[in-house]
Amino acid sequence: MFRFDPYSPVMDADPFPFYKTLRDEYPCFWSEEAGMWVYSRYADIVTALNDWETYSSAKGNLVDELPNRAGSTLGTTDPPRHDRLRALIQKAVTKRALDHIIEPARQSARKHLDALAGEKSFDFVNAFSSKVTVDLLFYLFDMPAEGQQTVRDKAVLMVQTDPKTRKKAPEHIAAYDWMVDYAAELIETRKKNPGQDLLSNFIAAEIDGEKLHDREVQMTITTLIMAGIESLSGFMGVMGLNLADHGDARRALVADPALIPDAMEESLRYNTSAQRFRRCLTKDQEVHGQQMKAGDFVMLAYGSGNRDERQFENPDVYDIARKPRGHLGFGGGVHACLGTAIARLACKTAFEEFLTRYPEFERVEQQLPWVPSSNFRSPMRLELAVG
Amino acid sequence: MPKVTYISHDGAERQVELPAGWTLMQGATLNGIDGIEGECGGSCGCATCHVYVDERFADKLAPMSEVEDEMLDCTESPREANSRLGCQIKATPEIDGIIVRLPEAQS
Ligand code: HEM
Ligand code: FES
Repeated sequence: MFRFDPYSPVMDADPFPFYKTLRDEYPCFWSEEAGMWVYSRYADIVTALNDWETYSSAKGNLVDELPNRAGSTLGTTDPPRHDRLRALIQKAVTKRALDHIIEPARQSARKHLDALAGEKSFDFVNAFSSKVTVDLLFYLFDMPAEGQQTVRDKAVLMVQTDPKTRKKAPEHIAAYDWMVDYAAELIETRKKNPGQDLLSNFIAAEIDGEKLHDREVQMTITTLIMAGIESLSGFMGVMGLNLADHGDARRALVADPALIPDAMEESLRYNTSAQRFRRCLTKDQEVHGQQMKAGDFVMLAYGSGNRDERQFENPDVYDIARKPRGHLGFGGGVHACLGTAIARLACKTAFEEFLTRYPEFERVEQQLPWVPSSNFRSPMRLELAVG
Repeated sequence: MPKVTYISHDGAERQVELPAGWTLMQGATLNGIDGIEGECGGSCGCATCHVYVDERFADKLAPMSEVEDEMLDCTESPREANSRLGCQIKATPEIDGIIVRLPEAQS
């Protein structure tokens, strides 16, 4: 009997063979382990993303949802409330509004590269990508510089799940509680002393003359910190891995850094870091002969849709010339990632600097330690040899 | 399946069929029609899916939201009375046969 267990360490390391079986044989599959249906084909996922009336996010979008988030954040509300909340932040994070982050991102990348001078090998994730990400998010949200490392550690922990109990472990929940308190304090200081930053604007915002609910503000800001830090540094880790493994692609980028954005889009497709999110059915549905009921959860396996041979030719080949428009690396539809422009600018800048300093590198460990998570896939550590 | 015709800025015409409920942005990006970018993934957050809708279909479309209206002020090519964002228009039987023109530039 075929099983699909998103909690298994085997899945953290290499979900792709399982996805292929799902797509070919069980395109609408009930996973006992997850307790939800799984969509794995590109077209089925897009259809679900286009139809938020049927596929609701209001019961949570994380495969293992954290307490109090459902119904209270951008990622976990449905239109029309969702669209109103999103409109409050959207303008500040369009490409045009973000020119100001490039220089700080570049300075941060240089600083952390300088600190590595003379090293023959180092951990790309902890010594570079997560440092640059945290610097950038702290700059963007104008957060107090102390405690950067703690914030990052908590953000990484809160997205994890325990492979044995198939749940959030106490330490994951504790990390989340810590972040919720951190957000609460941030909000209090910002209320007393508002600035021009994205968080201040969100806190002060009103919808139809009414202030946002306290929980909405707190949970959305908690999520912004989590999503910003964990998603971005996780993705950069994956992209670093792709460039270590694909020497030709890396050399092409070194020769022509203008290709970095193409490599980034292909990395989002090929090694999707945000592998799986979920929705909840608002009405009964029959898909591929399976009867699903209102109230059932459906997992959207973006990492599988991105490898669907029905959509992408030779999907298991990493090809930076592919330009995979429509990939699901940022999800899609009304809930598509809010941080796409931040992520694209940050990645481009960080890799421009990194490749200038280190045009040649290779990975040291063949077996990587993967983040244990039912949602995300990225290496916890990526030791690179550079000398 | 509803049909959509895209006319590029240089005059090239392509007709594609879209599964019901898919957006005009998706119809272009998934069929290799350049001239629509769709950078934000369809969340009405980038204005790189700008299209000019043929007048004959103007009154068949659902009215635009406030956010779409605001985003349309950020298009690269000039906004016209018939400007819309492709990611906000879903292919439905009512707009079967719709024709949209693509602007000179999206970003
Ligand atoms: C490469 C880095 C990133 C990746 C791969 C990524 C991926 C994603 C994905 C797949 C979703 C859709 C979730 C769903 O379908 O339910 C999402 C949503 C979201 N992301 Fe990102 N993300 C990244 C960076 C960021 C950054 C830097 C921020 C903020 C500063 C951010 C904030 C958000 C928010 C707020 C949502 C919810 C949007 C909504 O529901 O309207 N992300 N992200
Ligand atoms: S795809 Fe970004 S606004 Fe339409």
